[in-house]
Amino acid sequence: MPPSIHPVDLVATLRQRHLTPAIIFLTSRRACDEAMQSFERSQVTLPTAQREQIARVLAQVTEQFPSIAEHPLMETVQRIGVAAHHAGHLPSWKIAVEELMRTGSLDAVFATTTLAAGVDFPARTVVVTQSSIRKARDFTDLTASEIQQLAGRAGRRGKDLVGFAVITPSPYIDLTVLTKGLTGQPEPIHSQFVITYPMVLNLLKAHPREQIQSILAKSFAQFQLNQRTAVLETKLDSLRAEMEPFGPRVCSDWITQWQVFEQARKRKKPRSPFTRQESPDVAARLHFLTPGRVVGVTRGRGIILRQYRSKGQHAPMVTLLREGGSLNECPASIVTQVFDRTFDCEETSSYPWCTPETVDQLTHHLAELPPRLPILPILTHQHEDAPIDSSIVQTLGDFACPTCPSRQACQRDFPRASRVRQEIQRHIKSIQALQTSLWHRFQERIDVLERFGYLNANAQLTADGEWARLIRIDHSLLITELIRAEAFGAIDPPLLAAVMASIAHDDDRPGSFPRGSAGLVTLLFQVRKLAESLAPHEAPPMLRADVAALTERWVADQTLTWIGLARLTTMAEGDMFRLFARTIEFLSQLKTLKATHPSLAESAEKAIAAMRRGVLEELP
Amino acid sequence: MTTNELEHLLMQQPVSLLHRLARGRISRHFRSGKRKLVDLLLQASAENRPGLESDLQALIEQQAQRPQPQPAVQKARPAPAGSRQAAPAPSRHHRHEEHGHHEPPVSLHEWLSGIGVPPPQPFVPDAWQVDALAKLAETDVVVSVPTGSGKTYVAIEATARAMRENRTVIYTSPLKALSNTKFTEFSRVFGPGQVGILTGDRREHAQAPLLIMTTEILRNLLYDAAGGEIDVRLDTLGLVIMDESQYLADPERGVVWEETLIFCPSQARLLLLSASIGNPQDIADWLTAIRPTPCSLIRHTKRSVPLRAGYLHPNEKLTPLFRTAGIPYGQPHLLHPEAKRLFMEYEEETGQARSR
Repeated sequence: MPPSIHPVDLVATLRQRHLTPAIIFLTSRRACDEAMQSFERSQVTLPTAQREQIARVLAQVTEQFPSIAEHPLMETVQRIGVAAHHAGHLPSWKIAVEELMRTGSLDAVFATTTLAAGVDFPARTVVVTQSSIRKARDFTDLTASEIQQLAGRAGRRGKDLVGFAVITPSPYIDLTVLTKGLTGQPEPIHSQFVITYPMVLNLLKAHPREQIQSILAKSFAQFQLNQRTAVLETKLDSLRAEMEPFGPRVCSDWITQWQVFEQARKRKKPRSPFTRQESPDVAARLHFLTPGRVVGVTRGRGIILRQYRSKGQHAPMVTLLREGGSLNECPASIVTQVFDRTFDCEETSSYPWCTPETVDQLTHHLAELPPRLPILPILTHQHEDAPIDSSIVQTLGDFACPTCPSRQACQRDFPRASRVRQEIQRHIKSIQALQTSLWHRFQERIDVLERFGYLNANAQLTADGEWARLIRIDHSLLITELIRAEAFGAIDPPLLAAVMASIAHDDDRPGSFPRGSAGLVTLLFQVRKLAESLAPHEAPPMLRADVAALTERWVADQTLTWIGLARLTTMAEGDMFRLFARTIEFLSQLKTLKATHPSLAESAEKAIAAMRRGVLEELP
Repeated sequence: MTTNELEHLLMQQPVSLLHRLARGRISRHFRSGKRKLVDLLLQASAENRPGLESDLQALIEQQAQRPQPQPAVQKARPAPAGSRQAAPAPSRHHRHEEHGHHEPPVSLHEWLSGIGVPPPQPFVPDAWQVDALAKLAETDVVVSVPTGSGKTYVAIEATARAMRENRTVIYTSPLKALSNTKFTEFSRVFGPGQVGILTGDRREHAQAPLLIMTTEILRNLLYDAAGGEIDVRLDTLGLVIMDESQYLADPERGVVWEETLIFCPSQARLLLLSASIGNPQDIADWLTAIRPTPCSLIRHTKRSVPLRAGYLHPNEKLTPLFRTAGIPYGQPHLLHPEAKRLFMEYEEETGQARSR
């Protein structure tokens, strides 16, 4: 079995069942064109009346748009009563097909699912062959809205009693998506509000900065953010209700108090192995038990060689040189007296922790010491280390927690209360973020525009800002920066049109194209460099050199016909038309800069005039 | 109940119920399959058969009380039909499928019947169209109706009314191609001199009472007006019609619709025409919030020409897609058995069966 029904058979079946006229949505332009080609060999004969009607309608449209007279599909359409309608066609051809459908002259039209919105004509039947479409290089399932938009073309008011949506499988189909889409509710729409540079400039031209926030608050984006805020606020209310039983106790903010108290207790804990076994006087002495210090121990005297902590308990230890030259490792608590006498001690990193000569010298010194030595008076502090601890513990002293009557309640409720309180704070923060996010984004844009010199420090338009606000198209920052960099100094219309085309064109459909002039290559190189440097502030355009070259050729060579141009490239006529239409749109924005950049505006005007010929003249 | 009867009844139950029954009777019951489980249950309860039977009855009744997502079991369940009806109607699709079983699926002949051209009738506007026009006299209006319901009629009538009052009308569309189509269409209706079109670099009949343009052009006009340079008579502007307003959600261009609506002059009425969307009330509420005039919503989901869905197999066999002739809204699983069978066949043959 073939993966999908043959187009000729499909149309034949529809005809046989009286389901024509039909719109058949296919996956791609190529699929539409191939479907048309498959009819070339078919032996379909149309009733004479229908053939005459098609010819009549086509003649009418040709009168208005002479360009379609040479359309390659003209003959096929008249012979078989089937046409293709997709973005690769010229608008005039699409108008012709639409007119044929409106008059009910055709049996079927092949269209692409991607451009279903542009299919503005009804039929009795709509045939769907896929359940996903290519969006941004990825296939996504059709949404219920999109499926209903497709199916919505079925059933002509006043001409049909019923409309039909027929699904025929192809390798790109998931029936569930389609049945759910047909029977389901259309999806809610969401605001896609973004803050653009021209928006900032135009708003600041008309309103002082203080008013902007209230204008942004009028956006649908803010309306929908407010809806989310409302949900959060309801949640917040219920959280506050949950907090109710944890209201003020003995102290007004008992959660914080308890938290600090707990922290203090927790912070003390890990230190306890160090300090637990140390009595205050031992701890105080530790500082003095440095190598070379003479100390008194329970029996006799000794000299400290090193101080360290025991491995397991972290108990303070010392290595002691005793009278008689013996080396002992003993706890620091063995020291009873610290004498005011030290000897030089050359330390080493291993046993016996000083050079052998030092050991000999110290043994000697120790034996020579007078029986009475001045004792170092050592002050014992309660907590001589950890200044943080002491501060907390000092504040702890202010707390009544340890002796408070509600201590047990606090201890019991604290985990839940603090969790609820955290939730409340998180919600408050989210609400604030939702309410101010647009304004923040606006301010970010202001900062960028200020840095580039379109706004002054008071967010007022500078001279550059005054004209830059008239450029209200995509990539406006790149274009205004190019103008300021005088990239278009005394530019020729073809070159200007070419650069604008490369900025305007956002389709990555590959194709073969004529080469551009050396001047264009150099200029595009500069444009690309600038676009890359602006990338942090504005997504760079594709800047395709090939479409630029095509545009340059069209503007420079006034004798070139549309057909001749189409032969230079593999780009579809519809894409060429769209490229030029968009380029004209961009150029017409430059035309508005007459007051400040007369030569540029003049060049743009000339470029537009040069571009508008042949097919491009047919439609406004 | 004989052992055989009991065994039969047990085999009809879903495994989950058997596991619940096995709790406390059989150790490690979760390891066994259904057949084994039934055997074990029968063995284990050899001495206490009535106990098992009563527990089983209790569980079956309990099961009948709540919606059950397993149609195969439901069919086999010996519960009376009445109790099934009494159960709260859940939105589970299988439920609907089950209801559908009461009626035989629509035949192809029935499905295809009624094709034809309605007899020519004098045009009578639909109730919603009348309603929309009446509301527009007082308020802004958002219209969200299915494609092909006749939004253009509302646009034309509203325009004619504004023109009679010597007010300017602006009609915006998202695509230049659509602008051109509408320009032709409206020129036919109002006469060529009455309709103008504005694009980036061209203007035809810019002084006409009805101006057609893309939304971007209107946005630029409004910015120019706010900036103090104005070249189109916005002060006499009486009505702004925005076609295909669902473009508000377009990732790239949606912002232009928002800007336009925010800066739209307050004396002009707004008429937003949109295909069916999920939350048109939000848009109406939003406009009510930001504009001095309130905004009404006209919404309906019923198509003016009824729609039927079909399935065409690659071997040219045509069947209805759903069990019902029309679209079973909210019940996507009410598939026609023939369409289901053919599609499964298709998936098997093309070797890309999706487990559904």
